[in-house]
Amino acid sequence: MNLRLIYLYRNLTRNVRRTLLTCAAVGLPIMIYVLSMSVVHGVDKFLENSAKQLRIVVTQKTSIVNPLPQGHRRKIEALDPTQQRLTAVCGVQWIGGQRANDPTPLSLMAADHDSFIPAMPEYQLTPSEIEAWQKDRQAIIVGSGPAGQMGWKVGDRISIVPTLPPYRAMEFHVVSTAPDAPDNQSIFFRKDFLDEELKKDGFPEGLVSFFFVKCASKKDLDDFRQLIDTTFAGSLDETRSLDEKTFMNEFIAQQFDLPRNLAILSGLTVFVAIMAAMNTMSMNFRDRIAEMATLKSLGFSGGFAFSLIQTESLLLCSLGGLIGAMVPFILFTFTPAKDFQVPLIVTLVVEMSTCLKALGIAVFIGVVAGLWPSWLAMRMHVVRALRNLE
Amino acid sequence: MALPLTYNWRNLFARRTTTLLTILVIAAVVGVFTWMLGFQSALSGSLSFAQDEHKLIVLRQAATSETNSAIPPEESNKLSQLDREIALDAKTGRPLKSPEMIVQVSLPRVSDGGKTRANVAVRGLTDDGFKVHRNVRIVEGRAFAQGQMEVVVGMAIAKQFTGLRMGDTLNLGYSGNRGYKIVGLFSADGGPMESEVWGPLTMMMNAYQRNAYSSVVLRLNETMNASEVIKKVEGPTIQLTAQTEAQYWDAQAKNIRVYLLIVRVLVGVMCVAAAFSIANTMYSSVAARSREFAMLRTIGFSGGQIMVSIMIEAVFLSLIGGLLGCAACYTYLQVMGRTKDMFGATSFTTMAFEISMTPMIIVIALGAVTLVGLLGALTPGIRAAKIKVVEALREA
Repeated sequence: MNLRLIYLYRNLTRNVRRTLLTCAAVGLPIMIYVLSMSVVHGVDKFLENSAKQLRIVVTQKTSIVNPLPQGHRRKIEALDPTQQRLTAVCGVQWIGGQRANDPTPLSLMAADHDSFIPAMPEYQLTPSEIEAWQKDRQAIIVGSGPAGQMGWKVGDRISIVPTLPPYRAMEFHVVSTAPDAPDNQSIFFRKDFLDEELKKDGFPEGLVSFFFVKCASKKDLDDFRQLIDTTFAGSLDETRSLDEKTFMNEFIAQQFDLPRNLAILSGLTVFVAIMAAMNTMSMNFRDRIAEMATLKSLGFSGGFAFSLIQTESLLLCSLGGLIGAMVPFILFTFTPAKDFQVPLIVTLVVEMSTCLKALGIAVFIGVVAGLWPSWLAMRMHVVRALRNLE
Repeated sequence: MALPLTYNWRNLFARRTTTLLTILVIAAVVGVFTWMLGFQSALSGSLSFAQDEHKLIVLRQAATSETNSAIPPEESNKLSQLDREIALDAKTGRPLKSPEMIVQVSLPRVSDGGKTRANVAVRGLTDDGFKVHRNVRIVEGRAFAQGQMEVVVGMAIAKQFTGLRMGDTLNLGYSGNRGYKIVGLFSADGGPMESEVWGPLTMMMNAYQRNAYSSVVLRLNETMNASEVIKKVEGPTIQLTAQTEAQYWDAQAKNIRVYLLIVRVLVGVMCVAAAFSIANTMYSSVAARSREFAMLRTIGFSGGQIMVSIMIEAVFLSLIGGLLGCAACYTYLQVMGRTKDMFGATSFTTMAFEISMTPMIIVIALGAVTLVGLLGALTPGIRAAKIKVVEALREA
């Protein structure tokens, strides 16, 4: 056993350059895999939460930019007077926004303050935060993404200029930075405050971009999704209701289709790593044919030769994989790069589980790469091998 | 005399497995690289046709796109203060100002059989619009008539969304219940406006119950400097905001650029991995052939010639892999479809374009992969050149 370990170590160090190049050729693709999958997982997690929340998103039938009247809320609520199946209906108006003299786009949404808390339980506001939200008309909940970027903390007074009416600076009081919310980009404030500001400038008030309708069960979601659309069918303000995941997915698909493209890319990089590692293992084998033949002639079994090459390949690829997985993990967990934001979707979080999966793939690469040479070594005919050597 | 090229070519076949595996690595990297180049050039190609420096898009202050801007007609009247700056219509002598309204309609994509939809911009404008947007011209059928339920459709979206052929009826309006007949197709030289539906302004405002324009687009006098006019528009007497066409589309493409940056970084890392892979292959090839090189030296070839020879071998490898990668990318585009549409950053409307493999892209991809091959072969080449003849011969 001991002999085998020494032999392995010697094998890896006898051509240090080749070992390092292979580590890099495996490690870099693994790094790409980790980064791509982190983005994909970020989006997935976001969508999974959307599905888990059992919410219907009700928009105007022809386009999301057309507003719906606020009065739809009462009509939707009336579909379930018991409030057992439709537990909350929250009207939301998107008004975009940016800070004065800062072009970074913000995603500000005005929400019905009374139904926001039951409709969006994933924000996990503390009782004192809820109290502040209920009491203060200028209360605002800033997602942890923009909060980190702008340096906003609870208690701050902030000023944001919406990109929609009233088109002028509005003052808010930060009541929460929602550190546990899966959607860390959105910023919510109270709709009664927006309507008041709109009224001051003579803009139409009482309009809603979409309604969040929180359902009690999956069945309720499916039932009411159709019921809402039939209720408003034929009226002036027809609706299009989708479950929240489908709604969000439509947005993401129009944003470069990033998750799909990155999944393809990471698949290809794994392919690259397999080819590169295979190359090394076959070169190693070629260099050591004589040695293998000698070992076998000394009485070592074919299984020994097989396992020797397999473990070397495994070790080599795991080493590359470990480096490839750890670099992005450290980079996006402990350095300023951790605030890197993918627009409209997510902040990049490199999770340990992604890194472990990448490591698993590196091990797989190791097995595949060593397969052919180790099989050759096992089946090698000693006499013929030695005879063929010059 | 240099070493003959057939020597290098045959050498590739001496170590078949290694050669094949290296080529596959290169092919995968070049395939992705080519796709990225194609995407990038399609995008910037489209935006490069929206660079009219004498076209000014006037928006509501604080609004970031036409979609979220609103200018009531009385506000737009303030722009008459700019009569000196705005170009005049040669025929009528009126200043070239185009009040416009933008809304959206959600249309099914052709590429997936209509399963998914995208938001297409619908622009209402007056006849002056065609004079302000100079590069827009009708290529099939005719322009819409003011006061008629007619629209014209941009060439890019006509291909990518269903129900946009000549003679089709497109349902528009706030409730989506007013049928507009498609009477023409227009080109904007491939610019982003080709992703829009155009119709008569008053009819559209009526259909969407709007009483404000989204934007007013101005054609400036050729002598005017856009930034000075913008200052005036933003000044105390007008209090609107304005952007040149280039600035406007640049801002809309911002998100896409971030995505492209991500892909570019990842592809860059892949190229490095490919270079390492080539280096590895060439090192092993050099190590196995030290006696051969020593031989070549003794019969009179110089170290430099041997080094060049190694580099040529690497370039052969790279080019074969590169061509294979280009072919793979071409096949992928043919099978999976070349059409793409993307959201503008704040307009929420789609920009449609087509990825195509132009000869230029292939040349750039092959050039880049040759460079990667040369970089990878550099140190092994130096090593081969420095081989100590006597020792190498004695060892063997």
